[in-house]
Amino acid sequence: MPTYMFILKRTEEAFAADHDVDFAEMLATMGRYNQQLIDAGVLIAAEGLAPVAEGFVVDFGQEAPVVTDGPLVETHEIFDGYWIVEVASAEEARAWAVRIPVGRGSRVEVRRIHAIGELPGGDDDAQAERDWRERTGQL
Amino acid sequence: MKYMLIMRATPAAHEASADVDFAEVVEAMGRYNGSLIDADVLVSAEGLAPAAEGVVIDFDQTPPVVTDGSYGETHELFDGYWIIDVADRAAAVEWGSRAPLGPGVKLEVRRVPSIDEFPFDDEWTRKERAWRESRGQL
Repeated sequence: MPTYMFILKRTEEAFAADHDVDFAEMLATMGRYNQQLIDAGVLIAAEGLAPVAEGFVVDFGQEAPVVTDGPLVETHEIFDGYWIVEVASAEEARAWAVRIPVGRGSRVEVRRIHAIGELPGGDDDAQAERDWRERTGQL
Repeated sequence: MKYMLIMRATPAAHEASADVDFAEVVEAMGRYNGSLIDADVLVSAEGLAPAAEGVVIDFDQTPPVVTDGSYGETHELFDGYWIIDVADRAAAVEWGSRAPLGPGVKLEVRRVPSIDEFPFDDEWTRKERAWRESRGQL
């Protein structure tokens, strides 16, 4: 079955509003949603990310890559986390994504994930990928 | 420590990609992935189908508004990622700098917190920990 990624992006305003919400309540709200995905047998992976200040950006525009601490400045929306689900169709993926318990200032991009061997490339690469996914319990 | 390496295209990427030999790109990517696997740091990695095939859901309103994806707003583009498990931030910088990416592409690198950073006795944290354990994702 196809897999889809839900990419959660939030504005700075949305992050600021988090301070007004009880943390335990946030954990419960998101936890309940995640549990629904698990109970339906569709959740493959999910992660929330540490703040942008802890990250960095590598720019490959120059001869040598340039590393800069902090966020990607071109965008007003901060990538906050993602889910990966395995479902029968794009419609089913979207039906799950619209139920993500986020509010103002949040946008979710729903993208299909390439299957192994979907992109043109050496058969060796597809086999190597398959082997790695098997070894790491992803297949 | 886990870090997520996220490929982000910029407007320059579209122009630059016209001159690139796709087979070369695939080969370079395969070599990079192979080196991550050999070093035993690769946790997961995926490539995404084009944004135009997807949708964007806006949660400013209730119910949320769903719009088809597009080729516009290239600075927002998110084409794929790796998650690596490394000793420290310096190692993440090193691996990120070696990604076979060209002009117009930036790699946004973000730390992925461990479940240990969440309140241990919280009911939902316990459930998540159990789920991760059952899937070998701890």
